[in-house]
Amino acid sequence: MTKRKMFLRMITASLLRRRSRMLIALLSIGIGATILAGLVTIYVDVPRQMGAQFRSYGANMLILPREGETLTRADLDETLQAIPREELVGAAPYRYVRLDMTSRQQSFTAAGTDFAGVTQTSPYFSVEGAYPAQTRELLVGKEIAETIGVKVGSTMELTWQPTAAASELSPEESRVPGASLSGSAEGFGGGMVYVTAALNEDAAIDSLTVDVSTQTAEYGGRIPEDETFLAQFTGKTLPLTLGEDVDALSGATVTSGAIVDALNRAVQAAAPAKPRTVIFTVTGILTTGGEEEGYVFLSLQDMESMTGSDRLDVVELSVSAGADQLQTYADAVTGSGGKAQARLVKRVTRSEASVLEKLTALVFLVTLVVLLLTMICVSTTMMAVVSERRREIGLRKALGASDSSIRAEFLGEGLFLGLLGGVMGAVLGFVFAQAVSVNVFGSSITFQPLLLPAAILVSMAIAALSCLLPIRRAVAIDPALVLKGE
Amino acid sequence: MTVKAEGVSRRYFRKTGTANYFDAVQPVSLEIAPGGMTVLTGRSGSGKTTLLNMLSGLLVPTGGKVWYDDTDLYALDDRALSRLRSERTGVVPQGRSAVDTLTVLENILLPARLYQRELPVEAAVRWMEKLGIAPLRDARPAELSGGELRRMAIVRALAQAPDVLFADEPTGDLDDENTRLVLSAFRDFAHEEKKAVFMVTHENDALLYADRVLRMDHGQVTS
Repeated sequence: MTKRKMFLRMITASLLRRRSRMLIALLSIGIGATILAGLVTIYVDVPRQMGAQFRSYGANMLILPREGETLTRADLDETLQAIPREELVGAAPYRYVRLDMTSRQQSFTAAGTDFAGVTQTSPYFSVEGAYPAQTRELLVGKEIAETIGVKVGSTMELTWQPTAAASELSPEESRVPGASLSGSAEGFGGGMVYVTAALNEDAAIDSLTVDVSTQTAEYGGRIPEDETFLAQFTGKTLPLTLGEDVDALSGATVTSGAIVDALNRAVQAAAPAKPRTVIFTVTGILTTGGEEEGYVFLSLQDMESMTGSDRLDVVELSVSAGADQLQTYADAVTGSGGKAQARLVKRVTRSEASVLEKLTALVFLVTLVVLLLTMICVSTTMMAVVSERRREIGLRKALGASDSSIRAEFLGEGLFLGLLGGVMGAVLGFVFAQAVSVNVFGSSITFQPLLLPAAILVSMAIAALSCLLPIRRAVAIDPALVLKGE
Repeated sequence: MTVKAEGVSRRYFRKTGTANYFDAVQPVSLEIAPGGMTVLTGRSGSGKTTLLNMLSGLLVPTGGKVWYDDTDLYALDDRALSRLRSERTGVVPQGRSAVDTLTVLENILLPARLYQRELPVEAAVRWMEKLGIAPLRDARPAELSGGELRRMAIVRALAQAPDVLFADEPTGDLDDENTRLVLSAFRDFAHEEKKAVFMVTHENDALLYADRVLRMDHGQVTS
């Protein structure tokens, strides 16, 4: 038998002989390591977990049109590229207008939105009935519902009164008989294309002149001479679609498109907007405890067809990211030079950061206390073991064992306990973290491969530290006194 | 190897009548040469065990020096002292001295194993046979009687073939026959293997086997 084998045998024998004591020490290290590993796992996972949880507090970022710009749904898709898909919990675009309920002499703030987005950005919205699923359906704030006495299933006739903003008219309403229109649009290479058209009594195009002097002579510049192309427009009603109502001049697609755009804009600008009335069916009553209870909500499609515009006033975003990351995304959106700018909802992001901070401190504190308790428990147990083994230790010293060999043996025992406890802790800790995660956060976590060596290392370190005092005791045993006889 | 004590003394600090201290061993000078058996006798509390412990390197004297040949024993650090003691001395302590998790043979081989020396199995078996505990080699200490444990401790000391064997009351719990067995084993060890035996005892029989007898009274060695 080699010395090492004997050393191992002495340790294991000593552990086995003091089974109950060692079980207590092992349990305390194991439980300590379990809680440690569990907390660390949760701690590592918590920002992700909580990030998703926090989203129930509502949107944490707003996208607004830049000063002097109009934001449309198409612009929004482009803007959202700045935020990674997997972190974007939801996006709810809003367009606010006043709608009148003439039958009651009332007028309300109406919000056109995408209800699928709303359920994600504002999960706290409580709807009696259901969210509108199709057009001509309405979600009514509780306050309004109580004031005018509507219920789920009632109908409401709402009217949009155009203001001076003529561009908000639906295109099919914009035929103006006998008018003369002029407009412009960007053509090939950024040069402007100008059109002037005269309409007949049926609001169809009577004659058309174009100014394409900014376009390339051999391509777009040919248009004024090409009578076949220009003749296509005569007798057509605006607005037009390139490729359906008129064909592009081959080799000058961009310029052709610009002429169509310029005409469409001109007719919109010239058209006096008309009020539009739609009869909605109320599908749900909204309770939020906030100002939303004083609004009615309709789909963006309805909003667009009533006002003739797809512009957006604000987009609420719910992004699963920490405050710093969120600021980065906002800066990316604002800095991209598009039509949008982004702002953080400080109230939400700040409270998130402070909750995370407190949680971190709590985890740290609990970990510290657990480690301390573990150390006390292991230390006490080892102390008792040293007391029990006084005679044996004294004997071994009498037979020539040096202090360092005694030290090594107890340290070996401690490290062995630490190893077992660490393995136990890593495994149970993961189970513990998983249970907490599933029960508290409702999602499972992934095993951190680093956890196993880390848990083992920490528990071995704790066990070794706990053994320091008992080892000092063991080394201090005086063989002469211990072996004096019984 | 010769063990030499030079004015070795041990003073304990405690209230004893008028003084604040108690001299367990008054300054003693003596020499233990190879090839002989020295017996130290005296009344209980006369300082025998204290002197033995100081000579065997287990107890630091408060005065004087202990030399193992040219080595000042207590000038060594713990590691060197432990090694020297393990290589040069065998100790039979008072009382029960066994590691319960090891078998009798393993207990006997323990001192050699502590330093990874070659295991003196042959010597161990030979001494076990001589002292009549050969059949117990694989037994556990818990299964042994007091006398058997005592003989195990003696074999443990002898099997290492130390230069000096220190034995503290080695025959205390042995019957007459076994006492004689042990005493003759000690004498043979000293004479045949040219080693030194230093033994503390009350046993009058021991004096018959001794080459030299020292008496101790009130901390003083008298002869």
